[in-house]
Amino acid sequence: MTTITADHHGDHAHDHHDADHKPAFFQRWFMSTNHKDIGTLYLIFAIFAGVVGGAISGLMRVELAQPGIQYLQGWANIQHSLLGAEPASLDQAYHLWNALITAHGLIMVFFMVMPAIIGGFGNWFVPIMIGAPDMAFPRMNNISFWLLIPAFALLLGSAFVPGGTGYGAGTGWTVYAPLSTSGSAGPAVDMAILSLHIAGAGSILGAVNFITTILNMRAPGMTLHKMPLFVWSVLVTAFLLLLALPVLAAAITMLLTDRNFGTTFYDAAGGGDPELYQHLFWFFGHPEVYIMILPGFGIVSQIISTFSKKPVFGYLGMAYAMVAIGIVGFVVWAHHMFTTGMSVNVKMYFTAATMVIAVPTGIKIFSWIATIWGGSISYKTPMVWALGFIFLFTVGGVTGVVLANGGVDDVLHDTYYVVAHFHYVLSLGAVFSLFAGFYYWFPKMSGRMYNEFLGQLHFWVFFVGVNLLFFPMHFLGLSGMPRRYPDYPAAFEKWNQVATHGYEIMAVGMVIFFINVFWSLAAGKKAAGNPWGEGATTLEWTLSSPPPFHQFETLPVIDDAAHH
Amino acid sequence: MNKVKSLVLAGLLAFAPSIAMNGQALAQDNVAVAAPAADNAAAPADSAANAAAPAAEAAPVAKVAAPPRMKPTEGIGMPKPGEVTLQEQFTSTGHTARWLHDKMLLPLIFAISILVLALMLYAMWRFRASANPIPSKTSHNTFIEVVWTVLPVLILLVVAVPSIGLLADQYKPAPKDALTVKVTGYQWYWGYEYPDAGIPEFVSNMLTEEQAKASGEPHQLAADNRLVLPAGRPIKLIITAADVIHSFAVPSLWVKMDAVPGRLNEKSFTILEPGVYYGQCSELCGARHGFMPIAIEALPPAQFDQWVLSQGGKPAGAAPAVAAAAPAADAKL
Amino acid sequence: MATLPPSPFDRDRRNRRTMIAMAGVGLSMLALGFASVPLYRIFCEQTGFGGTTMRADANVQVREAAGHTMSIRFDSNVQPGMPWQFYPEHRTDTVTVGSKDMAIFIAKNMSDKPVTGTASFNVTPSQAGAYFTKIQCFCFTQQTLQPGQEVRMPVLYFVDPRILKDPDNKDTQQITLSYTFYPVEQDKKPS
Repeated sequence: MTTITADHHGDHAHDHHDADHKPAFFQRWFMSTNHKDIGTLYLIFAIFAGVVGGAISGLMRVELAQPGIQYLQGWANIQHSLLGAEPASLDQAYHLWNALITAHGLIMVFFMVMPAIIGGFGNWFVPIMIGAPDMAFPRMNNISFWLLIPAFALLLGSAFVPGGTGYGAGTGWTVYAPLSTSGSAGPAVDMAILSLHIAGAGSILGAVNFITTILNMRAPGMTLHKMPLFVWSVLVTAFLLLLALPVLAAAITMLLTDRNFGTTFYDAAGGGDPELYQHLFWFFGHPEVYIMILPGFGIVSQIISTFSKKPVFGYLGMAYAMVAIGIVGFVVWAHHMFTTGMSVNVKMYFTAATMVIAVPTGIKIFSWIATIWGGSISYKTPMVWALGFIFLFTVGGVTGVVLANGGVDDVLHDTYYVVAHFHYVLSLGAVFSLFAGFYYWFPKMSGRMYNEFLGQLHFWVFFVGVNLLFFPMHFLGLSGMPRRYPDYPAAFEKWNQVATHGYEIMAVGMVIFFINVFWSLAAGKKAAGNPWGEGATTLEWTLSSPPPFHQFETLPVIDDAAHH
Repeated sequence: MNKVKSLVLAGLLAFAPSIAMNGQALAQDNVAVAAPAADNAAAPADSAANAAAPAAEAAPVAKVAAPPRMKPTEGIGMPKPGEVTLQEQFTSTGHTARWLHDKMLLPLIFAISILVLALMLYAMWRFRASANPIPSKTSHNTFIEVVWTVLPVLILLVVAVPSIGLLADQYKPAPKDALTVKVTGYQWYWGYEYPDAGIPEFVSNMLTEEQAKASGEPHQLAADNRLVLPAGRPIKLIITAADVIHSFAVPSLWVKMDAVPGRLNEKSFTILEPGVYYGQCSELCGARHGFMPIAIEALPPAQFDQWVLSQGGKPAGAAPAVAAAAPAADAKL
Repeated sequence: MATLPPSPFDRDRRNRRTMIAMAGVGLSMLALGFASVPLYRIFCEQTGFGGTTMRADANVQVREAAGHTMSIRFDSNVQPGMPWQFYPEHRTDTVTVGSKDMAIFIAKNMSDKPVTGTASFNVTPSQAGAYFTKIQCFCFTQQTLQPGQEVRMPVLYFVDPRILKDPDNKDTQQITLSYTFYPVEQDKKPS
C-alpha cells in the first residue's frame, strides 16, 4: 500500500544497544509503559480468560449433550461444598446454569475478545503501523491493562457469593432488570456489575489512548488515508468504545442504585421502566458487537493483502465501510428488543435500519474477494484463517439478515438461531480473525516462527469443530429451542449431541494450538524481520523480529508517492 | 421433586384436564399436581385462591363436564426430532412468515453464501501463487464497487416489501369481539384468566417426566392446566408478568411476546386448526426459566364453549362482552 | 496534513488536548446515559411510545367524532403480596371517539393496616397510546387506603379523534387500559 523510506532497514544491530535496553523484570511487566509489553500482557490475559470461558462452554455442552440434568447437580454440589454450604437443591443447580451462561458471555466479550483484539494486537501494532515510538499515554495504557485484573477477579469471585436462588450472578450477560434487581438478592450481581464498571473504565481509557495516538502520533507522511486498515479499524472501534461504554456505565450504575439504594430507575413500582434498561443496554450492546468484530476486519484486510501480494482492493471503500458500520451500529439497537411489545412503526424502522448494515458489510466481503482476485496467493496459516473468516463471517452475516426482519424474529428471538448467528459472527468471526492475527504476528512478536504444519492442522480441526458445534444450532433455533436452557425436550437431542461432538473436536484444535505455541516459543525457527515477503508492506515488517524494545526513535518517513 | 413424583399416581393425569391449583405456594412446588385429579369438574373456580371472592358475585358453577383432554399429534405444535427447519404453522401470520423465511430469505441467504464461497474457491484456485506468480496491481474498479453497493441495496428493498407486510400483518389488532385471555408470567409458571367469560386465573405448571409420559405428551413441554382456546375465532392475549420479565412464546403459532411486570402487551391471532400447541418461556427469568412451558389446547368452537361452561364461565355467545363480568374475578390477594 | 515532525513538546500538548476532548466526549455520553431517564420519560409522554397515555387539562376542548366508536377494555393488576383487591367496575365499555368518558376502578384494602399504593399504567395496542388521553386519574397521585376501606376511583379520559386519521390505527377496534398497583415503601424514593 505504501512505499516506506524507513531508516530502519538493516540497521537493527546498530539500534540494539540503546533501543533494546529492557528494565528489570518487575519494572518491565508490572509497571510497564511499553506498548509491546502491555500488548503481550493483554494477549496472555486474554488467552487465560479464553481458557476459562471456553472451559465453561465445555461444561455447558457436556450438560446439553443429552436431555435431562446429568452433571449440573454434581457441579452445584461441588460449588456448594467449596463454600461449606448444604448440598445444592435442584433450583440452585439450575441457578448455577444461569451463572455459567452469564460468566461465559461476560468473560468471552469483556475478558477474551476485547483484551486480545484491541488491547493485545491494537497495542502491539497500532503504534508500529503508524510509525510511532509508543502509545500517546504509556502510563495510562498500563492502568488500562491492570484494571482488567480486579475486574476479572470480581467476576470470578461472584460465582462464590449468593446471587439469588443460588450462588453466582445468573442474569445473563445482558443483566436485564428486574431479574438483576429485585430478582437476584445477594452480592453476586453487584460484583458482576462492578466488574463491568472496572473493565469498562479500562476500555474507555484505552480508547482515549488509541484515538490520541492515531490522531497525533502518526509519522510524517502517514496521512489518515495511508493508514493501514487495521489502524483504521482500531480508530473506529475506539470511537465506538468511547461513545458506547459510558452509556453502559450509566445503565449499570442505575442498576446498582436500584439494587442497593432504593432508587427505581427500572422499577415500575416507583415510576421507572424496566425497558429503559434494555434500551440503554443495547445502545451499548449493539456497538459492542462491532467493537469485537471491526478490528478483526482490519486484521483480515492486512493478511489478505499480504498473502495475495496485492494492495487491498478499494482501500477507501473498506475504511469508510467500517466508519459506516460504526455509525449505523448506533441506530439499530432495538432489534434486540423486537418482542418487548414495541409499536409497529418502531419495529419497521429498526428492521429497515438493521438491514442497511448488510450493505457496508457486503462491500467489505466483496472487496476482500477482489483483493485475492488476481493476486499471487500463498496459503500460509494466517491466510487460511483469514479466508476461513471471510466465509464463516458471511454465513453469520446472512443469518443476521434473516433476524433483522422483525416479523421473522417473533419466532427466532431468544432461540438457538440467535446463538448460532452471533457465534458465527463472533466465535467464528472474531475468533478466527484473532487466530489469523496471532499466527500472522507471532513471528514478529516472539521472534520465532510457529510450526506451519501444526498451524494448518489447528485450522482444519478447529474449522470442522466449530462448524459442527454451531451450525446445528440454526436447526435447533428454527425448530424452537430457546436459549439459556439447561435441559430440553427429547426432540432437540440429535443436534445438541452433534454440537457437543463439535465442541470436542474444537477442543482438540485448541490443544494443537497450545502445543504449537509452546513448541514454537521454545524451539521455533528464528524469524526474519519480514517472514512474509513482498506482500507485507506495513511498517512492522521493516523492524526486526521481535522489534527493538523502543522502535522508531528516529521517525520513519512515509513516501508521498505511495498508494492510489 | 422426587417426593412429588412418587406421590403422584401418574395415570390419573391422562383423565384430568384441569387440576385445582391451591394457591401459589403450592403451585410453585408442583405439589398441586397431586391434588384430587380424577374429577373432571374440578375447576380452578373452586380453588382456594378464589375463596376470598365475594360469594354473591361468584359465577354460577355449571354442571357441565369439560371436554376430554386433547391428545397432541406427534410433530404438530412441537419440535420434531432432528428437525432442521421451522415448525408447521397454524396461524395466518405464521403461514406468511414461514413463506417469507422458506421461499425468500432462505434461498437468498443460501445464494449469497454459495456465491461468496464459489467466488472465493475459484479465486483461491485460479490465483494460487504457483499458477499466478505475478500479482496484478489493480486496487480499484469504480464500476464493480458501485455494483456491489447498489445490488445489495436492491435485494434488500425487494426483501423489505414482504417483510414490512408481515409486520403489518402481525400487528393487525383483533376485532373487538375477540376472545380476550389474560396471560401472566410468574417465577416459574404461567397464569391464565378469561376476563370476559368470568373464568378467574388458574395456573399452569410443567408436568414431571413421569406425568408427561403417562399423559402421552413431550416432557418439558407438557403442562398440567393448558391454556384452552377456540380454533377459528380471533383471540387477543393480553400479557403481563408479576415479578420479572418472561416471554410467552409458541413457535407453531408464530407468537412471541414479552411479559413485562408493570405493563401490558397484547398479541392477536387466530388458530386455524384444533390441536395442542406447545411453547416455552423465552426470556431468562431465573432458576426455572427452562421449566415453565406453555401448552395451548385449541378446541373446536362448540367444545370450547363447553369447556367455558365446565369452568363455570359464560361463553361469548351467551352474554355480550360488554356485560359486567364478575368483579370477583379480579380479586387478588 | 502535517509533514514536519512535531517537536515532542508540541506533540505532548496536542496529545493532552485530544485526551481532554475525548474525555469530554466520554463524559457527555455518561451524562447522556443518566439524562436518558428523564428524556425517555418525556419522549414516551410526547409520543405515546410503548403505549404511554397522554394527559390533558380538565377544560380541554375535543370534537366528538359522531358515529365512530371505540371499545375500551380495562385491566387491573396488583403486585403479588400487596393486600389490595383492585378491579374495574366494568370490564369493557364502548365510547364515542372524542367524547369524554369516565371509568371507575374499585380498590379495597384487605389488610388491617393502612396501605399506600401507586399505579403504573399503559395502553395496548401501543400505537394507540398517543391518542388515549386522560384528564383525571387516580394514577397521577398515590392512594392511601385505611384497613378494610373500599374506594371507587375514577378515570376521566377520551380517545383523541385524530386516531381515526392514523393509518397505524385503522384496524384498532379496542384499546386496553391497564393498571398495576404497587405498594409504596417508605424507603423507595421516586426517581
